[in-house]
Amino acid sequence: MSNKINRRDFIKLTVAGVAVLAVPQIIRGVQALETLTPSGRQWAMVIDQSKCTGCGYCTLGCRAHNDIPPEISWNVVTKTGTVGTQDVYIARPCMQCTHAPCVDVCPVRASTYRPDGIVEMDYNRCIGCRYCEIACPYGARSFNWKQFTGPNPSVPEWGQPEVARRPRGVVEKCSFCYQRIDRGLALGLTPGIDEDATPACVVACPVGARQFGDLNDPESNVTKLLKGKTSYRLREDLGTAPHVYYLPANEEAQS
Amino acid sequence: MKIRLPKFRPIKIRLPRFTPWSTWVLGLAVILTAGATAGVMVLWKGLSLTNLSDKVPWGLWITIDLSSIAVSAGAFSLCAVVYLLGLKRYQPVARTATFIGLIGYTMAVFTLLLDIGRPDRFWHSMVYWNEHSLLWEVTMCVTLYLAVLALEALPIFAGFGWLRSHWPKLADKMSQAHRLAPYLAIAGLALSMLHQSSLGALYGVLKARPLWYRPDISVLFIISAVAAGMALTVFASMISARLTNHANVDNNLLDRVSHIIGWVLVAYLYFRFWDALAMTYTYEPGRTEGLHLLTGGALSFNFWVGEILLGTLAPIILLLNKRTRSLPLWRMLAMVLVVGGVVAYRWDTNLSGLLIYLSYLPGEPAMSYAAYHPSLIEFLAGGGIVSYGLLAFSLGVRYLRVVDHNVVKANEVESKVIEAIPVPGD
Repeated sequence: MSNKINRRDFIKLTVAGVAVLAVPQIIRGVQALETLTPSGRQWAMVIDQSKCTGCGYCTLGCRAHNDIPPEISWNVVTKTGTVGTQDVYIARPCMQCTHAPCVDVCPVRASTYRPDGIVEMDYNRCIGCRYCEIACPYGARSFNWKQFTGPNPSVPEWGQPEVARRPRGVVEKCSFCYQRIDRGLALGLTPGIDEDATPACVVACPVGARQFGDLNDPESNVTKLLKGKTSYRLREDLGTAPHVYYLPANEEAQS
Repeated sequence: MKIRLPKFRPIKIRLPRFTPWSTWVLGLAVILTAGATAGVMVLWKGLSLTNLSDKVPWGLWITIDLSSIAVSAGAFSLCAVVYLLGLKRYQPVARTATFIGLIGYTMAVFTLLLDIGRPDRFWHSMVYWNEHSLLWEVTMCVTLYLAVLALEALPIFAGFGWLRSHWPKLADKMSQAHRLAPYLAIAGLALSMLHQSSLGALYGVLKARPLWYRPDISVLFIISAVAAGMALTVFASMISARLTNHANVDNNLLDRVSHIIGWVLVAYLYFRFWDALAMTYTYEPGRTEGLHLLTGGALSFNFWVGEILLGTLAPIILLLNKRTRSLPLWRMLAMVLVVGGVVAYRWDTNLSGLLIYLSYLPGEPAMSYAAYHPSLIEFLAGGGIVSYGLLAFSLGVRYLRVVDHNVVKANEVESKVIEAIPVPGD
């Protein structure tokens, strides 16, 4: 048999080779799509702007719990205006989008969907290209421009952070404190009800402006809250379908 | 047995003679050293040495990255012309373009390694595939295409005098690789069509950035890359032939390529015009402001003068007008303008989308403006990478005769014959 191949054969072989390589990837893609359909628990946060006083305890609790450097904030509180005499604030954790731009653009699958709807970051895989930062419509991602060393000013004298510090050169973001959720569930606790199984910011809020729970559970506090009231999500026009809902400070202002 | 002591020689201090060549190489080496030092500092101290921020995470280095890939596009387009369209007469030009491509892509890889936060994890995209990510696709294509370029450049390296005299068999084997050229040209065309456009689509798929969120950038990127890639090849060939006797060019051939570049630029200008005009009709918050930033704001000089006037209109006139095109100085000027225009386009594309960002707050989407000016470290490292490219090309001209429109013709007939031919001009 002649081992010479002509141009036509070469093209045929190339096409066949690409097809063979692509099949397992397509299967994986379809499997990934299946995990997107809500099944089991879907964690969500409801932030009530009529209760929020802008004290910033959520940010502080988050920093202390997740050992976040002073230049970075996973949870940003901004004043958006006033209703009557009351100042209105908005707190912005990671939206944990159902269709997250960051997950799509990551070249190494460092950001992935958990089956419970949380967008998880793998800090051991991130290469620090910062494409996700550019793609996120909510500015929820921050890059570690330098190594965070020394004591964390946000961590109080008692207790210690429950999450390992991220290395220099990776992007980080809010995780809905899934380590607390996972540990709590293993202990038989209910996230959103039992403090030990609930995200740190929700626990730290002194006025109860943050609620947490399972959207697929009709009895959870978030489901009940959302059923009775007008709620909105940020930049819904983008179709990202966040897992963070807001109750406006004044219902007429939103409708 | 007699022990022979080495003869003692008085130490003679000989100052190196400063020829234009040695000055050029020395100058580049100095910039390269400064750049390498800056690079080591970035790897050691981290990206906090740059002026990049969470608002503008991509800056000068991404521009160098995009530009060096764009100006390398001559390799795939000219190889396709030679081996797929069968226009063999362009082969000597394609040879130069291939060498430039190899340099350009290695420049891009160096810049990327510097720009990512964890260069030690550069291999992750090869292992952890995310086929939804344009950046993943670009990384894979660039890596594969770098391999293609290396194979395509094997016969060029086979011509290295030292290799020929010390490892003649290896050199022979290497020059045999030219038989693969048609297949490599197909692979190169496919990979380049994918990633040259995807570098634009990388921006175009981001819904959070209204100025970028349109399919047109990918089309503009690939057309401008073809123009810039061929332009750099023509310029580098002409300037080499002028400055050294290690290079000689077929003026007729370069004239034809220049004519093609002129028409590619017309196509580019048409799409750019259409793209910019259509953009205003969406009244999308952020997009209109981004366009204003380009046409009347911080980037307006770059846009009107760098991209449109000098980068596109002037070279179109210079290259489509037979008289100016046939005058070497005018033609070379046109080529420089094309390359400069494409670099300006890459810079503007990256920054115009980053300098404007939309607020996520409820209600009317509000625009905010960010600022970015590269730091000294960024300039030094960028300069180092560019001077690496210039140095590599200069060495190629001198020792590998990458710009030689006579040798290649002989090479094509039979690589072994070349050994018998005394290298002309030396």
